[in-house]
Amino acid sequence: MLKFLDHLEEWLIAFLMAAATTLIFVAVVHRYAAGLPIPVVQDWLLALRFSWAQELCIYMFIWMAKFGAAYGVRTGIHVGVDVLINTLPESVRRKYVLFGLLSGALFTAIVGSLGANYVWAIGHTDQTSADLELPLWLVYLCIPAGSFLMCFRFLQVAWRFFKTGELPKHDVAHVEGVADINPLSMDDNLQPARAGKGGQS
Amino acid sequence: MSPAMRLLAALPAAMVLLPLLAVAIGLKVPIALIIFLLLFGLMLTGMPVSISLGLTVLSFLFFMSNVPVTSVALKLFTGIERFEIMAIPFFILAGNFLTHGGVARRMINFASSCVGHWHGGLALAGVMACALFAAVSGSSPATVVAIGSIILPAMVAQGFPKRFGAGVITTSGALGILIPPSIVMVMYSVATNTSVGQLFMAGVIPGLVLATMLGLTTWWRARKNNYPRLPRASWVERFRTFRESVWGLLLIIVVVGGIYTGMFTPTEAAAMSAVYAFFVAVYVYKDMPLKKVPKVLLDSANMSAMLLYIITNAVMFSFLITNEQIPQQMAEWMLGRGLGVITFLLFVNILLLVAGNVMEPSSIVLIMAPILFPIAMKLGIDPVHFGIMMTVNMEIGMCHPPVGLNLYVASGITKMGITELTIAVWPWLLTMLVFLVIVTYWPGLSLWLPRLLGMMS
Repeated sequence: MLKFLDHLEEWLIAFLMAAATTLIFVAVVHRYAAGLPIPVVQDWLLALRFSWAQELCIYMFIWMAKFGAAYGVRTGIHVGVDVLINTLPESVRRKYVLFGLLSGALFTAIVGSLGANYVWAIGHTDQTSADLELPLWLVYLCIPAGSFLMCFRFLQVAWRFFKTGELPKHDVAHVEGVADINPLSMDDNLQPARAGKGGQS
Repeated sequence: MSPAMRLLAALPAAMVLLPLLAVAIGLKVPIALIIFLLLFGLMLTGMPVSISLGLTVLSFLFFMSNVPVTSVALKLFTGIERFEIMAIPFFILAGNFLTHGGVARRMINFASSCVGHWHGGLALAGVMACALFAAVSGSSPATVVAIGSIILPAMVAQGFPKRFGAGVITTSGALGILIPPSIVMVMYSVATNTSVGQLFMAGVIPGLVLATMLGLTTWWRARKNNYPRLPRASWVERFRTFRESVWGLLLIIVVVGGIYTGMFTPTEAAAMSAVYAFFVAVYVYKDMPLKKVPKVLLDSANMSAMLLYIITNAVMFSFLITNEQIPQQMAEWMLGRGLGVITFLLFVNILLLVAGNVMEPSSIVLIMAPILFPIAMKLGIDPVHFGIMMTVNMEIGMCHPPVGLNLYVASGITKMGITELTIAVWPWLLTMLVFLVIVTYWPGLSLWLPRLLGMMS
């Protein structure tokens, strides 16, 4: 069940990222392609409307931001100022880390409740978004859903930290695909064997 | 525990509790003092910056004001409901596609064929490669990883001291946020409503000047110590390596050219560059198999979501301080003391350098810009110039401890300790400080190009 939730979260944000990029790309290409005087094709292109693309892109990224923030708690990407607490004795540091994680849970829980309240209120009106005419409650649903998920993730991380003392850590120095290149096996002119010492020329 | 340690341990707790207590018993304390004590107290406990911003706003709304709390939920959505902000995920995605091996290696080849035969050979090529890579990536740590992980082992193999190489790449990598595209500049533009296009253009000349200055420092140190040089490359070789790296370099043309000619808005340019980077990485250079794309998407989404989450909370925070008219009060206080432009800029530089000691760039820009910007405007400082100055400050913050991200990245690549690296970077760090003074007090350096192109008056 939890594994399923993890995967769903990952798929959702990766999909939203790809979809938003494709959408804006297509909208821009369309804008210029529709200006080309090709018979039939131009009429067809002009008939297509992409005025809603910006709005949809914004909504997709906001959804991505809310669920991605929850995923980020799991991967430990939300950085804080840990300079001071890292100099403290372990027992004190532990308390501050737990305090931080629980504050995160508290904040997201409050925001989630406020959001749920708001979505509930707006659900009883028929307000829609400007271009897409989506019902607004659906658009705003990401605030309670994302925040409660994030709250759950904070509690999860806090519990694991309480049990094992381990925090998820985002490794800034690691970039996929770079580390596995052996610099000495490349076909280029950086090899020490071919490089001259002390500058001739 | 020693008494000093005890005091240190109690500091964050005291900073959080005291302001709340003061409000509870109804003491007359300036609002600004309460807000900032609370914010910095929460931050010092090590919780995520975004959460401390959010909690500060919430506790203020609950205890100290009668603004309806419901408006917070709305702000969480509308705060980032702007198309300009969406350039950030697109630029991150574009950078991530190109960080994968091949592009950086081709840029290094091109750079070493151009400048490799001078004193400092490969190190000089490292500076140039960082400047080139900065033009496809909007982030400094990414630049350090991409260039450093390839060039540092090669430098050590050629007989450069490890320290020298680490120092060069750590500081040159910082060019990533000064040469467009730059994520920090988009953040500044979000916080102050300055045009992204103007900021990008304004970053070009200072970026080139800084690259030259770092190169000169490298050259001078290398000549003094007689470090190895590469054989001079022929023009044919130079042309060949240029042609190989040109696909990556064209990305900057798409971004800057697209914005300048008005073909794209900055966000559209960012989206186009992401699609372009995808095609270059997967189909032109074939460095990345298609099955790796979902992983890149997920990593980019993770990073973007973190930044967007900070933005959301920072927008709420700046709404709060603007609502309380804190920047205006500070501006009046400063003007009332007869503080001029020179003193103000000096003060800003010191403040940002100190902040760079504990926070990472995006948070600093998002928290400080809304406070400092109105004061700068009252003093008649150009918004674009101010943005470039802040960016340069952020660059320096990334290269020195305790939180310089570039240092940590370089330490991950070279397996050197942070203390040793700190000593290694000082000649270049000093160069950057000199450059900061130039940028701060010579607005023309930043504003010349956008003015020449007619992008601003």
